[in-house]
Amino acid sequence: MKRCFLWLLAIALALPILGFLVAASGIVPVNASGGHWAITTWLLEFSMSRSVDTHSRGIEPPPLDDQGLVIHGAVRYDIGCAPCHGRPGLEHPRIAQALLPRPPYLPKVIHEWEPRELFYITKHGVKFTGMPAWPTQHRDDEVWAMVAFLQQFPTLDEPEYRRLAAIPGHRASEAEPRVLEQTASAESASAPVLATCIRCHGPDGLGRGYDVFPVLAGQSAEYLALSLEAYRSGARPSGTMGPVVAGLDARDLELLAQHYAEQSPGPTAPPMPGDGQIERGRTIATEGLPSDRIAACSECHGPADHGLNPAYPSLAGQPMSYLISQLELFKSGVRGGGESAHLMLDVAPRLTAEQIEDVARYYSSLPPGEGSR
Amino acid sequence: MLNLITYFYSAPFVPGILLADVWHGKHSALEPAGTAASEIATLFWAMAVGAAVIWLSMIVLGVYCFRTHQGMHPPRLPWFIIGGGMAVPSVVLAVLLGFGLSAMPRLVGPAPEGSLRVHVTGEQWWWRVSYEHPQGLDTQRVELANEIHLPVDRAVEFVLDSADVIHSFWIPSLAGKVDTFPGRETRLVVTPTSEGVYQGICAEFCGGAHAWMEFTVVVESPEAFDAWLAEQATPSNTLHDEGATRGRTLFRQQGCGACHSIRGNVARSRVGPDLTHVGSRHSIAAGRLPNDRLSLVRWLRDPKGLKPEALMPSFAMLSDEDLESLAAYLHGLK
Repeated sequence: MKRCFLWLLAIALALPILGFLVAASGIVPVNASGGHWAITTWLLEFSMSRSVDTHSRGIEPPPLDDQGLVIHGAVRYDIGCAPCHGRPGLEHPRIAQALLPRPPYLPKVIHEWEPRELFYITKHGVKFTGMPAWPTQHRDDEVWAMVAFLQQFPTLDEPEYRRLAAIPGHRASEAEPRVLEQTASAESASAPVLATCIRCHGPDGLGRGYDVFPVLAGQSAEYLALSLEAYRSGARPSGTMGPVVAGLDARDLELLAQHYAEQSPGPTAPPMPGDGQIERGRTIATEGLPSDRIAACSECHGPADHGLNPAYPSLAGQPMSYLISQLELFKSGVRGGGESAHLMLDVAPRLTAEQIEDVARYYSSLPPGEGSR
Repeated sequence: MLNLITYFYSAPFVPGILLADVWHGKHSALEPAGTAASEIATLFWAMAVGAAVIWLSMIVLGVYCFRTHQGMHPPRLPWFIIGGGMAVPSVVLAVLLGFGLSAMPRLVGPAPEGSLRVHVTGEQWWWRVSYEHPQGLDTQRVELANEIHLPVDRAVEFVLDSADVIHSFWIPSLAGKVDTFPGRETRLVVTPTSEGVYQGICAEFCGGAHAWMEFTVVVESPEAFDAWLAEQATPSNTLHDEGATRGRTLFRQQGCGACHSIRGNVARSRVGPDLTHVGSRHSIAAGRLPNDRLSLVRWLRDPKGLKPEALMPSFAMLSDEDLESLAAYLHGLK
């Protein structure tokens, strides 16, 4: 008995040493070209699905049927995900096919995962595969937009996919070629970038008609440049905007800001009915709530009877969903921006969810450009 | 090491130093300048004398006991037990109780009809002060912050409440302290008896910057008081200086009016302190800094560093020139 135990002990000690010697000898292949053994593949996939299921327990998906979310997700997918996971018309991109493990074409496997699991994989990535985590861990709203898109992905044919993702060449609007041409001739460096901006914000900065995208048209060039700079530096975290502007220089950012600042904001959508919500929002925005120590929004963001700081955004006519999401981000303390953004960190946490909605509804009901500059 | 030794040898003097500070500081309950404070000071001295008498008798008795030998006493001294153990303490306590109770009606009695009424709200961490309009128009209160002026020899009724947590309103030289509660009014009547500048404090721990929740009380002649109140009731003054004009534009452009009010069509929010005549006050940020341009710049640049958890956000992103213009404007609001 004792002898047997000593043998087991010796083997237990020898195994790791043997393993180290094998690794040190360099005979173990790490080449992706060779693939895994079938049992390795099975074990890895089994571990992954178990891990994702366990770790995503308790994640509650928000409503995912908003078409604006789907559009946001579609463009982001086409920019960041399609190069590996493919898209209708190019289901198996050649380079990605040589990855190990091979990235699946998602419409065929989406049904295997719950929305909470897709959220977990998209936000955190998967170890030992090429799957990266979302570029920031502070933007669950963007990750949910991706999940919203993934839910619809299997139903999309190629033209529909191209329309949602606004693939260049598929014209998002009639004005697009003209704008690109103008910008291209003015400053060649920013034209390809603008081609990307257009996919969500439109050439005119009006946001393709979905209220998840801010109205950039008519916003001050200073504020837009500060925001782009904040996205680039990471001060304003975003897994969508961050990667898009990461490679730009200050001159590009300035040109883009200028381009959108010069656009005309146009008419606003008629306000949605909401039981005196607009009136409540107006009171908060123009007078503040001294008893709750909520400052009056309008002194910085208009409408006001005095000049506004161009580093502060004008909120009149901004879409309601966008305003709500930004206030929620400020409230949770992760929203950055220019050097004045911290002013909001003392205000937003005092607003309740209802007050945020009231204020957002009020500002979205104002004609754009109603401020004073 | 030397410091430690110095500290060690000076330790016996510390209570004396502290007491001297209490005696002659900006706020001293032992230098009364109001009727209520006098009552309290008298009560204090009566208690102190009573306590001293009892303390001295105990010492004398103790010394006497150690110096006498057994058998020197007669076997029983009932008068000593009854008198010293029961009668004397009862009489001393009864006298002190009677004396203390007799001061109560004068301390908590209502203010005479027609007295000046001042509303004070404790907020984390400053005092919102508003005077009922001299003509009695309730809608037109004269609001300011962290500074109270009072006419000498006249009863004033303070109506106190709180916007958040429990604070305690205390002007040691003029009267006793009274707690302020959210959602409930408490009252305090003060009759100052000598002119001067006194300090008020919050006497109930109320959070991060509790220690920086002071206010100034100026007691002056009725004529000077009337002139002051009339001045405070006016809108902010017109500007002549270029820096101040620039500061006024900046004040509005930077959105200061989202929280502050400056009467005279500049700003009208009631979230933070009214700044209409901020330049006329003795200090800024509830006693945290003296009222001068340099301090105003310091405050604008780093309010949370000077006063932890203060709601005022930092404006360090502004240029020195901008901050100086803002300071010039605010300091000029006399």
